[in-house]
Amino acid sequence: MATTTATISIASDITDYGFALSKTMTLTKAGITTGIENTNGLAIKKLAATTAVVLELAADATASGANKVYIRNTGSNKAEHVKISLNASASADDTTEAIGRLYGGDWMLIPWEANGTGHNIVAAPSTASEVTTIEYMTFHE
Amino acid sequence: MATTTATLSIASADLLPSSPLSISASSTLTKADTTIGLHMMESGSGELTVAASNNGVVVKEATTAGIGTAAKVYLCNKATDPTYYIQVKLHDAILGRLYAGDWMFMPWVQGDTDAEISVEAEGGTCPYEWAIFKEGETMVART
Repeated sequence: MATTTATISIASDITDYGFALSKTMTLTKAGITTGIENTNGLAIKKLAATTAVVLELAADATASGANKVYIRNTGSNKAEHVKISLNASASADDTTEAIGRLYGGDWMLIPWEANGTGHNIVAAPSTASEVTTIEYMTFHE
Repeated sequence: MATTTATLSIASADLLPSSPLSISASSTLTKADTTIGLHMMESGSGELTVAASNNGVVVKEATTAGIGTAAKVYLCNKATDPTYYIQVKLHDAILGRLYAGDWMFMPWVQGDTDAEISVEAEGGTCPYEWAIFKEGETMVART
């Protein structure tokens, strides 16, 4: 059994009293304490067009499991982003399955239903004038 | 201008057969298309009971002002029974399941005013906490 942990820390001066949060989770299979044992590995994709591309296929994971997806925009440009969606053809913000925009340096770690092609993880950069590099990894049953 | 940073560390000594896994990431949360920090935060906590039907509760409604912004959402299932989970949805799309102790952090573009985030407990009552970092909003005029 593998043991994988993920820790988030958030710090902010958004209020006069500040805000701080730290939380660690151990990635386990659905409904039990056994650790997640499968991954597609840490991957890098360089995107030079605004065309939406599939990062991860839902078919590679167990549907409705305790899957997790990590994605990071490795760039530093806060004026451009890569939009992450759950739909294979999504490229606009107002598609039903649009999740959000990762600007330069932004990251996300989300649970992943992975139940059918509608749950494929898709990325679409906002610009073709520079290469957008995405780092990503799935953890699944 | 507020400065909010979110850092992540993922580690495993035995997930990969060839080498230990260690991922570190840090982001300063900024408004869309700028280097100006997000300057609004909402947070809360509560207990989710199992719904009798397949209906969750809305953590946060999308707003017209929020469309196309760079908001970020943190959500954690604080239950301890490993069989209890929170199903997280973006409007009609199921994002995934947060089992006991699991947390998530994601951008939220609010593509339209139907892009609300909702949650639903399964298995048993799930204490939970959440926080949203977002851009400013125009306050509603008094009536």
